[in-house]
Amino acid sequence: MNTAIVLSELTKTYGTRRGLTELSLQVNPGEVLGYLGPNGAGKSTTIRLMLGLIRPTSGAIRVLGLDPHADAEKVHRRIGYLAGDFLVDGRQRAGECLAFLGNLRGGVPTQRIGELADRLELDLSARIKSLSKGNRQKVGLVQAFMHRPELLILDEPTSGLDPLMQQTFLDMVTEARDHGQTVFMSSHIMSEVESVADRVAIIRDGRLVATDTVAGLRTRSLLQVRIDFAAPVAAEEFAALPGVTDLAVTGTEHGATLTCRLDGSPDALVKAAARHTVTGLHADNQDLEELFHAYYTSEHSAAGARADRVA
Amino acid sequence: MTAVRNTAVSGPALPGTSGLSRTFGRSIYTKTLFDNRRVLAVWALATGLLAAMYAGFYPQLTADAADSVPEAMRGFGFDDLTSAAGYLQGAVFGLLVPLLATFYGAATGARMISADEESGYLDLLLAHPISRTRLLLHRIAALATGAVLIAAVVLGALLTVRTSAELDSISAAGFTAQAVSLALLALAFGALATGIGAATGKGRATVFGITAGTGVLTYSLHGFAPQIGADWLRHLTPFHYYIGGEPLKNGLQLADAGVLSAISAMLIGLGTWRFSHRDIGR
Repeated sequence: MNTAIVLSELTKTYGTRRGLTELSLQVNPGEVLGYLGPNGAGKSTTIRLMLGLIRPTSGAIRVLGLDPHADAEKVHRRIGYLAGDFLVDGRQRAGECLAFLGNLRGGVPTQRIGELADRLELDLSARIKSLSKGNRQKVGLVQAFMHRPELLILDEPTSGLDPLMQQTFLDMVTEARDHGQTVFMSSHIMSEVESVADRVAIIRDGRLVATDTVAGLRTRSLLQVRIDFAAPVAAEEFAALPGVTDLAVTGTEHGATLTCRLDGSPDALVKAAARHTVTGLHADNQDLEELFHAYYTSEHSAAGARADRVA
Repeated sequence: MTAVRNTAVSGPALPGTSGLSRTFGRSIYTKTLFDNRRVLAVWALATGLLAAMYAGFYPQLTADAADSVPEAMRGFGFDDLTSAAGYLQGAVFGLLVPLLATFYGAATGARMISADEESGYLDLLLAHPISRTRLLLHRIAALATGAVLIAAVVLGALLTVRTSAELDSISAAGFTAQAVSLALLALAFGALATGIGAATGKGRATVFGITAGTGVLTYSLHGFAPQIGADWLRHLTPFHYYIGGEPLKNGLQLADAGVLSAISAMLIGLGTWRFSHRDIGR
């Protein structure tokens, strides 16, 4: 097996709901891939295709080298899955539910379930309907991790978890990777995957708009520039410079302040500014959250070198 | 060598599990039964109790009352209320019990696939190494077990009141044959509901509505067919195969039981086939 997941030209259209459009993506064994996109972008659709719950309109999927629909049982034996909202019969106790789900996999050691529950501070004797959303999600996390699957497919795994437990979850993901497990996790929050993901794939409206390493995304990010001038300056002087967007010039009592975003070389902007007396200069990398947000909205698609054209 | 499976059952008990829940948590079939134990018990006890109660009215029935049955009710089995078998085929096995069995099938069948698909639990179950076919067969087996339980409790209740209710003219074999037919009837409607849910992915309420509606419609058809001079229409309803051969008097009618079983098998087969080929939706 060379690739954990291969999606080729995957298209899914159904009803009036938004599906996927010619999505191609590969996940390598042993890597953690963060699958990012706003709600409704097609993240769950992708995951349900990978589980064989639905079938693509066109295109092909291979999970662990197998067809997830035709070879569903073989694939499912080797994966762990968690949905964003972990739903089971609420009348049962957490331990009862986990023992049953473990038995569907041929049995999971009691000790292993106990360890994970302790770590997540989950009370196994509680009835599921009495648990908060976050605690219910912990039951889901235990069932996804308990059999140490080769591939973890996690759909919005941290929804409802408090920040402390989110960190515990991220530690569990890191450990899974250290054990050679592959992790595919979706989220709509960049910061959630930033610290653990080797690579990030961003989708919007059912299309892949970017895939890169977290470091690669950082180098792609725009500079957020602020220049203070001793005297007023005209905005027109800077507006047409290459790479400059979101330009604003505001007058201050000492002169003027220019703010803009900058894509690419700062040379032209620096030379233009040098014609005036510069009293302050501040340039920051746009944070990833902002960059990620830029991918969401089409008017900022210039932010991404590989941003797809969107109808 | 004995196969030792490293199940959650072995070793120290997991918190939140009881011996019973561990035993029943070993397969989808047993887990479904365990999760539905209370509602199953209620169905069985209520049906059994009502059957015994109505059977108990038989000694109080006078010839006058029997004569005053309107003509319209004859098709529903109220044509001979003077004999024990006639009475039971009218009030008990002709009306109350089969309709309860029909609703048991519709309600339980609507839970087997539809309810879990609606809630999203089906996604989780099917992400485990179980084929859709196996899931559906386990669920149907649990439903069938419930149907047998209901029929057994009804049988037990009637055998208990048999002498006191002056029903001795009916043999235990006759009661048993009627109970078997009852279980098969409940299973047929259970298979219909489960099959519709599995094949279409419709919600629980819709599946229940369609199945219960089909039940009431075919029951009425079975009852009214003789009045409109179209007895043959009865053969299109499951109720004909349930009681048409008068199992209370004649014992188990193998052909009729076969037809009911075949209907269930066909519905399950079609449902399973569609279920394996369609998209699971939320």
